[in-house]
Amino acid sequence: MTGTATCFHCGETLDGKAVNAEIDGARQVFCCHGCAGAAQWILSQGLADYYRLRSEHGGRVDEQAMDYSAWDRDEVRNSHCRSTPQGMEVVLLTDGMHCAACSWLIQKALQKDPGVRQVNANAITGRIEIRWDPAQNRLSGLCKQLARLGYKPYLSMNEDYQREKRRERNRLLLKLGIAALVTTQTMMFSEALYLDTRQEMPLATRDFFRWLTFLLCSPVVFYSGSEFIRGMLRELKHRQPGMDTLAASSILLAYFASLYQTVIGGEHIWFDAAAMFVLFLLSARVLERFARNTARAKVDLLAKAQPQFAWRMQDGRREQCPISQVEAGDILFLAPGESVPADGVLLSEALEVDESLLTGEAALQTRRRGETLFAGSTLGPIAGELQASRTGGDTQLSQILRLVQKAQNAKPAENLWAERLASRFVIIMFTVTVLAYAFWWQVDPDKAFPVALAVLVAACPCALSLAVPAAVSSAFDALARAGVLVLSPDALTKLKDIDHVVFDKTGTLTTGQAHLKDVQTFNGCSESEALQLAYSMELGSKHPLAHAFKADGLAQTVFDALSVAPGHGIQARLGDAEYRLGKTGFAAPGQPDAGIWLSREQRLLAHFTLEDPIKPDAAAAIEHLRGQSLHCHLLSGDSLAHVQDVAGTLGLGSYRARVDPEGKMQYLKALQQAGGKVLMIGDGINDAPVLAQADVSMAMGSGAYVAQSNADILLMNSKLSQIGHVLSVAAHMRHLMRQNLRWAIAYNVIAVGVALSGLIHPGYASLGMAGSSLLVTLNALRIYRITP
Amino acid sequence: MNVLLFLIPISIVLLLIGIAAFFWAVRRDQFDNLDAAALDILTDDSRPEPDKKSDAG
Repeated sequence: MTGTATCFHCGETLDGKAVNAEIDGARQVFCCHGCAGAAQWILSQGLADYYRLRSEHGGRVDEQAMDYSAWDRDEVRNSHCRSTPQGMEVVLLTDGMHCAACSWLIQKALQKDPGVRQVNANAITGRIEIRWDPAQNRLSGLCKQLARLGYKPYLSMNEDYQREKRRERNRLLLKLGIAALVTTQTMMFSEALYLDTRQEMPLATRDFFRWLTFLLCSPVVFYSGSEFIRGMLRELKHRQPGMDTLAASSILLAYFASLYQTVIGGEHIWFDAAAMFVLFLLSARVLERFARNTARAKVDLLAKAQPQFAWRMQDGRREQCPISQVEAGDILFLAPGESVPADGVLLSEALEVDESLLTGEAALQTRRRGETLFAGSTLGPIAGELQASRTGGDTQLSQILRLVQKAQNAKPAENLWAERLASRFVIIMFTVTVLAYAFWWQVDPDKAFPVALAVLVAACPCALSLAVPAAVSSAFDALARAGVLVLSPDALTKLKDIDHVVFDKTGTLTTGQAHLKDVQTFNGCSESEALQLAYSMELGSKHPLAHAFKADGLAQTVFDALSVAPGHGIQARLGDAEYRLGKTGFAAPGQPDAGIWLSREQRLLAHFTLEDPIKPDAAAAIEHLRGQSLHCHLLSGDSLAHVQDVAGTLGLGSYRARVDPEGKMQYLKALQQAGGKVLMIGDGINDAPVLAQADVSMAMGSGAYVAQSNADILLMNSKLSQIGHVLSVAAHMRHLMRQNLRWAIAYNVIAVGVALSGLIHPGYASLGMAGSSLLVTLNALRIYRITP
Repeated sequence: MNVLLFLIPISIVLLLIGIAAFFWAVRRDQFDNLDAAALDILTDDSRPEPDKKSDAG
């Protein structure tokens, strides 16, 4: 028996109806039969290691949602599965994968199935790629297996984009691999030539080695180096020479000069230098690209929110059709608890929807006939019909998704700055090279070319151009490991100027989930009886407030009839008595308009006060910020009493209540006009405009998608203590960046000076270049020492 | 120096084998998920995986 009252499988706090089960000879407790079943299955399959390897708890197993028969339909197969030589292939997404042990478990569990040929689960991207034999198993069977383990499967909506991204990643990996393997070999052969210091090697052997290195160097330059050559062509086409121009011209110059020397039997060759340029420059580029992709993968995972099927009304009958076939004008049936498949106008009288995905507003919203529903929101307890007006890529949700994609592709600002610097640098260096060549041509024509090449190589601002991205990408990666995603690349640099921090209240400083604060009972009703009634009514109508009434050992009353009055409350019938739970006008006419009332046959039973508790780490986080002499503000759309309460508890001097998004903007602009730089931290859609207006913005991982897409930094686990961590990583990153830049510039100046003097062979110049690049890259890795 | 005539072709062949192996690995997505593979070594599962025909392809 475990000491703590949490579920052995998913770690959820146990309520009254815990399930006991025998696990490995010991008794363990579970929150539900689903979790117990999952654990028993995992053990019976000999996968008990999962519990040892995992670093986080698994997802809760939902006992109800196990019907995946719709996934076997032809439409799914046609649009989401591919035929490969190893069978059918499908990519599923899941949000339940937390750590490497999860992906390990998924792979092992699915591979037990005889029909499954290959499984690849990636905990970073949340994607599961399955190849299976359709004759032996159905897709629904695989989905059921995943759901049974607590990983709810979703279909991936932007598979083409994902596949393209992966192809590009593999292409880069191949190029890097070739460069690494072949460059090593090129250097081996070149070494033989270098070691021949007294020129004792027969000419034939020397030339043989030179042609060998030429042969090996060619694929490195033209295959692996094509990244830079293509970049150079692009830069020249736009008449803006940059890093790629300098890199590619050094590579090509070293390569063709060596080829020329080989043909005429000249004194030196620099094939190894050419191959080394490619290898080092490419490694830097791959590292930076991969670090950015990791951060992006989490955002891409949000694209799974869209529903897969819609119920279309055809001649009065409902028929299920894939969402892609829904057209504007179609009448759609909306089932309780399911996602709305398209933007459209409500045809039913009234119903409630959860728009938290779009707005961050956790409470159910009431919508009446003629009002608009948005795709991606989830229907409450009442079914309804809607006439689709915008579908597929036109829906608001899709437009938001596109916005995010666009934002992600925007160029990092530091890199832009570094590129401008490099561009100027390139032009200067070409001039210096030509001058050096002209000078040495006068002094010693034999040395003119080697000196010019050495200058060009020494001038290559590799370390300079790496200095910034190396520090930035290692900072991004260090933060990503701590659950912080940096979406806008220049956010961390801008953090240094911040002097105001503005918080939203609901969902940011508070948990955003209602908790029961106080119960008052009337007319002889006991507290536990009131709670039980309220809990059962909320739960029976699948109302999201149910969890607020949940208490240990609470049984569920089964009512004869339950109905929801949208926007007012719930009424239930038990025997002859009618119970009402909801706002004052509905459940308890004449009582004060606050909290939730419960009545039987119009006689008051209880009054519940719900509150939104402050996050446990909020006080410490704000204390930390104040310690760095930052002004903290609180802006909320909530009532003055609530805001005052929170501001008082946390010691926030400046606060505003009842502010709408426009008001928040005004407040922010006022701060900015007074010369302040503002860091905004929010979570809802009402925060989205302010998040965009702020100099730097952070959004909560639990918040609205619109807010997240407008934020620079995402706190995935919504912990406020991470703000301080982000600030210290950012400060350290800027320190490393400055240090790197100083080193790189010092190296370039000294190396060019030495190269100009004609004392150095181009090969050694490239060694120096590689050394300085390595130095800045390693220096950047020091950022991992900072722990939250 | 005749030994070079053996050693150099051998080194080139080894290099080609290395490149081929790397291409194979990338094409088969071996570098896709480096985290789960790192855990495999920690499990007690000493039984060999059942051989699957598709692995040959």
